[in-house]
Amino acid sequence: MKPRNLPILLTAGLVLSLSACGGTSSDAKAGDVAITVACQPAKTAAKQRKAWDDDIAAFEKTHPGVKVNSTDQQPCFDPKTFAAKLAGGQMETVFMVPVTNYADVIAKKQAKDITGETGLVKNFGDIKQDVRDMVTKDGKVYGVPNVSYSVGLVYNRKLFTQAGLDPDSPPRTWDEVRAAAKKIAGLGPGYVGYGEYGGGNVGGWHFAQALFSRGGEMTADGKAAFNSPEGKAVLQTLHDMRWQDNSVGSKVLIGWEALMQQMAAGRTGMMLGAPDVVTDLVQKFQGSVDAYGIAGVPGGKASLTGGEAYMINPKADAAQTRAALQWIDFQFNTPGKGRHDYARGKANGEAVGVPNNDYMGDSPTGRALAKAREENAVLPTKNYRFYVEAASGVEAKLEPPKAQELYAVLDVPMSAVLTRKNADIDKLLADAEAKANSILAKG
Amino acid sequence: MSPLELKSRWGRKIYWALLAAVLIVFTLVFVFPLYWMITGAMKTGEEIARMPPSLFPKTPDFSVFADAWQLFDMGLLLRNTLYYALGAWLFALAVDVTAAYALSKLRPMFGSVILGAMLATLMIPPIVVMIPAYITVTDVPLLGWQLLNSPWAIWFPVAANGFNIFLLKRFFDSIPNEILEAAEIDGVPPWRVLVSIILPISRPILGVVSIFTVVLVFKDFVWPLLVLPDSSKMTISVGLSQTAGAVTQNQIMAGLVIASVPMIIVFLFFQRSIMAGLTVGSLKG
Amino acid sequence: MGTLTMEPRRQAAPRRRPPSRRGRALRSNLSAYGFLCAALFCFAMFAWWPIVKEVLLSFQQTNLVDEPTWVGLDNFRTVVEDPAFGQAWRNTLVFTLLALVCGFVVPFAVAIVLNELRHARAYLRFVVYLPVMLPPIVSVLLFRWFYDPGPGLFNQVLDVVGLPALAWLDSTDTALISLVIVSTWMNLGSGVLIYLAALQNIPGDLYEAAELDGAGILKRIRHVTIPQTRLILLLMLMLQIVATMQVFIEPYMLTGGGPENATVTVAYLMYQYAFVYGGNYGAGSALGLMLMIVLLTVAAVQLRLTRDEKR
Repeated sequence: MKPRNLPILLTAGLVLSLSACGGTSSDAKAGDVAITVACQPAKTAAKQRKAWDDDIAAFEKTHPGVKVNSTDQQPCFDPKTFAAKLAGGQMETVFMVPVTNYADVIAKKQAKDITGETGLVKNFGDIKQDVRDMVTKDGKVYGVPNVSYSVGLVYNRKLFTQAGLDPDSPPRTWDEVRAAAKKIAGLGPGYVGYGEYGGGNVGGWHFAQALFSRGGEMTADGKAAFNSPEGKAVLQTLHDMRWQDNSVGSKVLIGWEALMQQMAAGRTGMMLGAPDVVTDLVQKFQGSVDAYGIAGVPGGKASLTGGEAYMINPKADAAQTRAALQWIDFQFNTPGKGRHDYARGKANGEAVGVPNNDYMGDSPTGRALAKAREENAVLPTKNYRFYVEAASGVEAKLEPPKAQELYAVLDVPMSAVLTRKNADIDKLLADAEAKANSILAKG
Repeated sequence: MSPLELKSRWGRKIYWALLAAVLIVFTLVFVFPLYWMITGAMKTGEEIARMPPSLFPKTPDFSVFADAWQLFDMGLLLRNTLYYALGAWLFALAVDVTAAYALSKLRPMFGSVILGAMLATLMIPPIVVMIPAYITVTDVPLLGWQLLNSPWAIWFPVAANGFNIFLLKRFFDSIPNEILEAAEIDGVPPWRVLVSIILPISRPILGVVSIFTVVLVFKDFVWPLLVLPDSSKMTISVGLSQTAGAVTQNQIMAGLVIASVPMIIVFLFFQRSIMAGLTVGSLKG
Repeated sequence: MGTLTMEPRRQAAPRRRPPSRRGRALRSNLSAYGFLCAALFCFAMFAWWPIVKEVLLSFQQTNLVDEPTWVGLDNFRTVVEDPAFGQAWRNTLVFTLLALVCGFVVPFAVAIVLNELRHARAYLRFVVYLPVMLPPIVSVLLFRWFYDPGPGLFNQVLDVVGLPALAWLDSTDTALISLVIVSTWMNLGSGVLIYLAALQNIPGDLYEAAELDGAGILKRIRHVTIPQTRLILLLMLMLQIVATMQVFIEPYMLTGGGPENATVTVAYLMYQYAFVYGGNYGAGSALGLMLMIVLLTVAAVQLRLTRDEKR
């Protein structure tokens, strides 16, 4: 760089700095309304992204004057930036919230009260009552649920066959899980019978799932309740599978993707997971389309529920709120449209057929959705019948209060039994209980 | 120059043995991991998981780089990062050069206090004030600016760099005042003194500061993770970490290779400046 | 920033009268602050204010939307009572100590060896600095693969030379040291080059004199090299402490703080509070404030020592 260019550069820098931070300009014309909607599929999922963009175009066409912009942040709900985005006015008009965060978001007044306008979502009344209750506080509605499911056992049918197990008779108890895992691990090095998380907050999350399945409780009366025979059994079984049977692999899995990736690679036999796991395995992680089956959660006492709702930015004005609810109605709650356009999903190679969403229950809409999903199924839906059959008899359970903090605490015993042969389970649980109690005591 | 005895036959033998050992160890420790990264990228998913591993990919597959380019959206990530780095460079240079010039040559009242306060921030590494800095960026006090997902969230904090100011000021201090006094008597305004006298002789230090700033922005992880969460605004480091969970091992390696290339090119071209900068910064505390 | 108006010189010069002293001082101050204002703005908003804000936040509870509420020492109580608090500090200190052994002693030794060599210097300098140039995320993801207990490079190498496999990141015994190894690998180069430059500044006749006295290589290091580089060693030691105390990306990407909290660090815990546990910015700031005080103490000790040394 020649020195005489420097002044130009410096001046350019200063000019740049002066022109900074102009007000945000809106490109909407008078009378028009512009909304921003979250959860556009990532660029890596090109077909789904195109389908989404098509939906936007179709929606804009049928709703003249409405301009829809999408954001594709991954993950779609990011607890890290949620509060700041909202405070800084960067929150989308329509954003997704997972069931774990409903209570927190509503309590902090981070979602708009839409009680008077739920009628804009035509099938709102068909959403299951208990699912709707989750987004309702003091009689006011703060969101439109559109996904609901509970945890089951996802298993690789091919590996079951290879290991001499009957894929049409999946394990129903934890003893059967352990026996099957041992057989699958016996297929050779690199094979894992049962995959489990050991850290990064997902360890504690799966502990809760396993605990519920055995009839245990995370908390009771504001105190930790997992230091129980059920809690002990969860850890003991995992410990024995790791150190006696060597059927859970030697690598500690941290972060949600780790187990998903391993499961999709086709050498892991089973994992706890809701049906949406199968969708993700096939779509995001390039897992084999017809390999996976889902069964009811082992033990079958109770199952952790998951799900999502769309909520509206509390700063949205009346016109935006209206447009936002129309979008939610169009994209997420109309049979044959948007997310529920199963024919298009099938054409795009999506894993249609997984019973990954039961939020409409047995209502007319729910039945219509189930029928459409069945008709366009890509996957052999019979692979999931065990889950569907079991689901009705399993009690659904919500996540505990202060979920993430409790999960961080429970990562410790989970990682301990997976990494130390001499792990003292009683002590681990007692320690975790004391820690959890001090967290819960803070209210 | 070297104090090692080279005259005797034994001394020479020891020297060559030492040289060979150092060469081998250094290559193994610092180059082999990179070799493993590049060849790992070119192995198939099957081969990369094989035990024992192959030293060289059986059928080197270069298409994985194209895959990774697409999956990670490398074009966008590189473009973003380059934009942030170049903008940070221009802005930080403009801000820090003028400030160092004022502190060194114009010597305003409270100048030493200001310099002291600027240098004091060096004692506090950025991660320690990560949370308040983040909150500041989401709502800049008094002005109410909202810089989340804006490049200014990178540029403003980069310009507030006490180390750059320190380096520049020290260099400007070494320029004799006589020249400036002569200019002042001639009635040359300060900005012209800066532009036509100071800057031309400050090229070495400007090079050092420039490289520092660009490398800093390119390598940073936590800060862009927090302030540029939008996937169309991400830097390459953050983008890699976000997508790495959803792709295969060889694709990850290909992504890492692509991400390393710009920095290695910078290193090849500016090696002298970089190495000079290292010593200029720390030799005299 | 208005001082950068492009006023042509010719017009300005003839009009100037000899200004009074006070007028001149005022003018020069004005123009100096004109030059300073951009930097003052950046520092005030993005360097100084966050420090003040950290102190404020640690006594507040905020959701960023409503007015923050003052909660006294609650945040400090929360973090001190956190089960991972003690562990995080212990890990941070152990990490710092290990990183000092690897990142302070090793580069110095490497620099001494490099300084003895007369061949391939450019190559060696280049390769040792190569990892420093890579974005840390590259090094971290690369080592995540090397540490894989199955097909990872390290266990494969151990296997080849007939040693038992290690659990690396997956054991409380080795997880922290595994993080130190990554951190050392990616930071070693800058230390080496700085020491190398310091060594090359030592006048050669000092060695010659020592040689004439019959001093062996170790003696020369002890009596010439170390005393001559004392200041820079001291400075680097402190810089290293400050740099390693903020370890974050390694546990964040590699271990998630586990297994059994063996790799939770203070910075990682801070991040968890603010960005994972539903936005507890107050508790996170309280931790940050504690870390800041520790680092400032280190810096103060360093200033003290260098001053004594210079005397």
